[in-house]
Amino acid sequence: MLNAVFISVGFLAACGGFLAAVLVMAEKKILNYGPCEIDINAGERELTVDGGSTLLSALAENSIFIPSACGGRGSCAYCKLKVSEGAGFVGPVEEPHLTSEELKTGVRLSCQVKIRNDLKIEIPKELFAVKHFRAKLIGKEMLTYDIAGLRIELIEPQTIDFVAGQYIQLESEEYKGREEVMRAYSISSVPSDNRHIELMIRKVPEGICTTWVFDYLQEEKELYFSGPYGEFHMSDTNAPIIFIAGGSGMAPIWSIIQKMVEKGIQRNAVYFFGAISQKDLFYADELNKIADSSEWFKFVPALSQEPEDSDWQGEQGLITDVVKRYFPDTSAHEAYLCGSPGMINACVSVLTEGGMPEEKIYYDKFA
Amino acid sequence: MKRSPAEDELIQSLGPSKFSAEGFMGHDTRPVDEIISADQRKLDRLGISIQTLVNSLKAVYQQAQQAHGAEIQIKPGVFATFYESRGRVPSPFKTDGVFEKGEAVAREKETGQQMIITQLGIALIERHHFFQGIGSRYRIDPEVAVRLLGLATFKGDAP
Repeated sequence: MLNAVFISVGFLAACGGFLAAVLVMAEKKILNYGPCEIDINAGERELTVDGGSTLLSALAENSIFIPSACGGRGSCAYCKLKVSEGAGFVGPVEEPHLTSEELKTGVRLSCQVKIRNDLKIEIPKELFAVKHFRAKLIGKEMLTYDIAGLRIELIEPQTIDFVAGQYIQLESEEYKGREEVMRAYSISSVPSDNRHIELMIRKVPEGICTTWVFDYLQEEKELYFSGPYGEFHMSDTNAPIIFIAGGSGMAPIWSIIQKMVEKGIQRNAVYFFGAISQKDLFYADELNKIADSSEWFKFVPALSQEPEDSDWQGEQGLITDVVKRYFPDTSAHEAYLCGSPGMINACVSVLTEGGMPEEKIYYDKFA
Repeated sequence: MKRSPAEDELIQSLGPSKFSAEGFMGHDTRPVDEIISADQRKLDRLGISIQTLVNSLKAVYQQAQQAHGAEIQIKPGVFATFYESRGRVPSPFKTDGVFEKGEAVAREKETGQQMIITQLGIALIERHHFFQGIGSRYRIDPEVAVRLLGLATFKGDAP
C-alpha cells in the first residue's frame, strides 16, 4: 500500500518536472523573438536588440536613458515616448497613465512595451545626450533650515554638457529598508563648470530620496545620477525677462542668471523670489551683489508672512500680487518660472492677464 | 481566508515602496475592507457624506496651494499651510494614475490635532473610500477631518 503511494507521488512529481521542463524549453523556443530592429526618429539612429526585453531597458542597454523613477513598474509614467509602429496593445497598467490624445498618437510607457518585433519610435533628441554618471559629493551646506546645497564632482564620465535650466535624476541608495529610488533635481551651477554640478534640495518629510540626502549622504561619498534632462532653458530673444521662483525652485534660475553674468548677456531681467519669511531666504547677498553691479538685473524678494514686528524693508505679500504690482503690463516680456504646479498656474494667470502670450512663459513644473 | 492575486498585489502596493516610504497602512493590521467599513461607519454616525468631506478637503487643498506656503485660516483656530514637493506619486490602486506630491497640513493650534491633505489622499477617499491605515502619516481620520474642516460641531468645540 505504502509503495503504491510512493510510486504515485513519484510519478506525479516526475510528470510535473517534465511539464515544467517542456514549458521552459517552449518559452525559449516559441517566445524567442530573435533580434529586433528599433528605428529611432525615422532613421536618425537604429538599434538591433534581442527581443523579449522592455523598450525602456533595451534603450538603457544602448546608453539611451529615458527618465524613469519607478524602475520600470509602470507607476511613475515618466518614461513616455511615441511608438509609431510595432508596440502592440496598450496594457491595463499603462492605460490609466495615458490621455486619449496620447493613446491616439501612439504614446506609450516604454517600460511596459515588450519588444516582440521591429519598432519605430520617436524620442526627444536631447535624450541622446543623457549619460549615467559616477560622482562624489564634495560639498554639502544648509542654505536654509530645510534646503541643502550639494556640490558634486564628476568621476566617470569626468565632464557633463548641459544647458542652464536642465535637471538630473539622482539615485539614492538603500537605507533602513527603503528601496533605492531616482528623483529629479535641477542643476543650479553654471554649465561652464563642466566637471561639477550643484543642486538645491529641500527636505521633504518622509521623502525617500531627500531623507537619504540629508541624513545619509556624507561628503566624499560616491553617488550616481543620470542626465541632463529637460527642455527648460533661456530663449535666444532679447525680450526682457521676468524670473519667478522660490525655495529650491531657485536652482535652474540661479544657473541661468550665473550664465548671463558669465557670458555678459545683458537682457533686462527681474527675479521675483517668493518666500514665507526671512528664514526662507538664501543667496540674497549673491543676487543683490549682481543687482548692485549691473544695470540689467533686479532682485525682488517678497515675503508672504513675515512677523509684524519684523525689520524687513522689502516687498510683502503673495508673489503673484507683487509681480502684478511691478508689471501690470507684461506683454513685452518673457517669463521663466520654477515651482509647484499650483504656483506655476497662479503665475501663468497673472502674467497672461497682463498681456503676456502663453507661449512666452517657460516653466519647470515640479511634476 | 485565501486571498486573490489582485488582493495580494493591492496589499503589496499599500506597503512601503519606491514612492511611499511608509506605505499607506501605518501600523494598522486590519484588512483594507475592514478599515474602509469602520471609517464609513464613523462618517455615517457624523451624518456627513463622503462627497461632502471630499469637496471640503479639495477646497482646503486648493486654497492652501494658492497661498504659496503662507498660512490660511480654515475656521477659527484651525490653519493650513501648503508644502510643495517635486514629482508625482502613483496610487496604490493601479488604475488611478499619478498625483502631484504637494501637501496641505491642516492644524488646530490649541490642540495640535492635524491632518495632511494630498491629492492622492483625497482620491483614495473619493474613489475607494479608503482613509488609510491608523499610523499612516497621511491618514485622514474621518472624525478629525470633519472637526478640523468645521463640517460638524463636537462636544467641547467653541460655539
